[in-house]
Amino acid sequence: MGSEAQAVTSTVAEVPLSRRFGRIWWIALLASGALVLLLGYTLVSVTILGVGVWGVNIPFVWGFDLINYAWWIGIANGASLFAAILVLRRHDLRTAVNRFAEGVALFAVICAGIFPIFHLGRPWLFYWTFPYPATFEVWPQFRSTLTWDFWAISTHAIVTSLLWYVGLIPDLATLRDRARRKAVKRIYGVFALGWRGSVRDWAYHQRAYRLVAILVLPLILIMQSTVAFEFAVTLVPDWHETRQPLHFVATGLAQGLSIVLLVTVLLRWGLRLERYIDEGDIDLLGKLALASALVSGYLYLDEIVSALLADRSAQEATFNRMTGEYAGLYWTAIVYSILIPQLLWLKAARRSTIAGVFVGFSIGVGIWFDRYSIIVGGLQMDHLPSIWRTYSPTLAETGLFLGTVGLFAALLLLFVRFLPVISMFETRHDEHQEKSS
Amino acid sequence: MAQLFTPAATTLFRVAIVLTCLGIVAGGAMAYVWARSGSTWNVGKPAAQPIPFRHDLHSGSLGIDCRYCHSTVERAADAGMPSAQTCMSCHSQVWVGASVLEPVRSSFILGQPIEWASVHRLPDYAYFHHAVHVTEGVACETCHGRVDQMPKTVKTQTMSMGWCLDCHRNPVPHLRPREAVFEMGYEPHGKGLPEDVRAFYQEASRRLTSCNTCHR
Repeated sequence: MGSEAQAVTSTVAEVPLSRRFGRIWWIALLASGALVLLLGYTLVSVTILGVGVWGVNIPFVWGFDLINYAWWIGIANGASLFAAILVLRRHDLRTAVNRFAEGVALFAVICAGIFPIFHLGRPWLFYWTFPYPATFEVWPQFRSTLTWDFWAISTHAIVTSLLWYVGLIPDLATLRDRARRKAVKRIYGVFALGWRGSVRDWAYHQRAYRLVAILVLPLILIMQSTVAFEFAVTLVPDWHETRQPLHFVATGLAQGLSIVLLVTVLLRWGLRLERYIDEGDIDLLGKLALASALVSGYLYLDEIVSALLADRSAQEATFNRMTGEYAGLYWTAIVYSILIPQLLWLKAARRSTIAGVFVGFSIGVGIWFDRYSIIVGGLQMDHLPSIWRTYSPTLAETGLFLGTVGLFAALLLLFVRFLPVISMFETRHDEHQEKSS
Repeated sequence: MAQLFTPAATTLFRVAIVLTCLGIVAGGAMAYVWARSGSTWNVGKPAAQPIPFRHDLHSGSLGIDCRYCHSTVERAADAGMPSAQTCMSCHSQVWVGASVLEPVRSSFILGQPIEWASVHRLPDYAYFHHAVHVTEGVACETCHGRVDQMPKTVKTQTMSMGWCLDCHRNPVPHLRPREAVFEMGYEPHGKGLPEDVRAFYQEASRRLTSCNTCHR
């Protein structure tokens, strides 16, 4: 190992192994911890008092619960699709952002999973959606979206955590070797699964990593389509469209990329990783985010065209979403997820931390409004005029959403504290290649 | 640098993986058996009652008809528990001063119902109608067992949803002719039924297993 590569490893490994981590980290952890407490409070209240504390009612049986579920799962899908493609393409960018992308995907799945479980009303019976030999001798309704959620989320959680963990193994071994205290060494050692860094180990590792990454590709498309089908299989005029899966996959990818961009520029700035995530990496990520935003824009156009071709009730419902009571949601989504990302055409914007944070955040917000617009605005003009009502979230729902944002932030903060945020083995590999060429 | 793990650690790790997998399977098997065992469903466990009432004496030895006390069983969802007046129709003559019957007498005088503890309580989301079952040939004994031999009233069946469905999916083998519904120890079931009844239940089992038959 050359001295250059040694330097990479020591800087990145220094972070999880040091005993102190600075004041900003603590303040951020406390802030997100407070939000996690809020999450706990809203979850306990919905468990004890029931879903009546939410603003949902017929016809809005799905409110914030499904909006945020669809949003988080979109982030998870976009981020893991991105990570898997990087692994398979052996792209240079992989060294810099792969670990973030995998982490973002995993934590987003955890946040997403909370909503479907708690919107059951009796969350402690969530396992009823799993087909096990129960004493009530009936199988779950396989045509129900609830059972689809179960399979979607559990499969997603397993595959995403596998991708994340398999990628971590060599770096866990490095941490094991560099840790100072025996107990810490042993903990990292167990999770490193006896990694020795032999050629055989590396060959197996490459095979496993790529295998999991290949698994992710079809899976993510299926998972995101599952979320879309939950709307498309209903008879609600605005939802009952075959274009739904495409819309969810594409906007989900944009959203995942934007959150990866946001987290990457923040951590790059916060942990001073400019040397490992260079300007080119950030530039490429910005271009990808811009491209995905353009694809989303194309799909918004497609939505209008399909509505024009659709029957009268579907047409009215879709245009009502754009001009009716909830038009604000739709246009906010357009501005935040399509128009603002156009900033990324400028090279200076792609390379600036502030612009990265701003655009990443704005696409995330935009897609959130898109989900809100589809789930609430789309339901407003159902077939029966007698149930044309409006929906607005209660404090318990808003608190729940803020709580999951806090949980996501807290998990990310703990992740950067205890595990190497940049793939050390990939960076070492890159630098070796550069030196030898 | 000293070795962090001994060579045995790999073996230990593999053993731990196998044991964890076996543990999950064993845990599942145990849960399967536990969920189906009678004790989980309180089968055979008597409840503490205000009066040591004996079904074996009243129904068994004395031969009092079930309907004398559970008077609405042929007409209503609830089989009905006897009022103190019903008890006093005999106990104003027999065992007049018995101390164990004090709750009956005070209930009779004060007009307050006796607080029996239910042994067969179903959850509130399950709708059960006694009269429908009894008038269509489901005997008392089929669900409640040999009550005429019970010194203390206990459950003899789990009353789980699966147990309900076992019959709802194919009722004929569990049915009796209408005149044998209140008999105890009647054998065999499913015999002596009119042909049209059999034919009817071939078709009706679909309706009997739809969700809103019991969950309304």
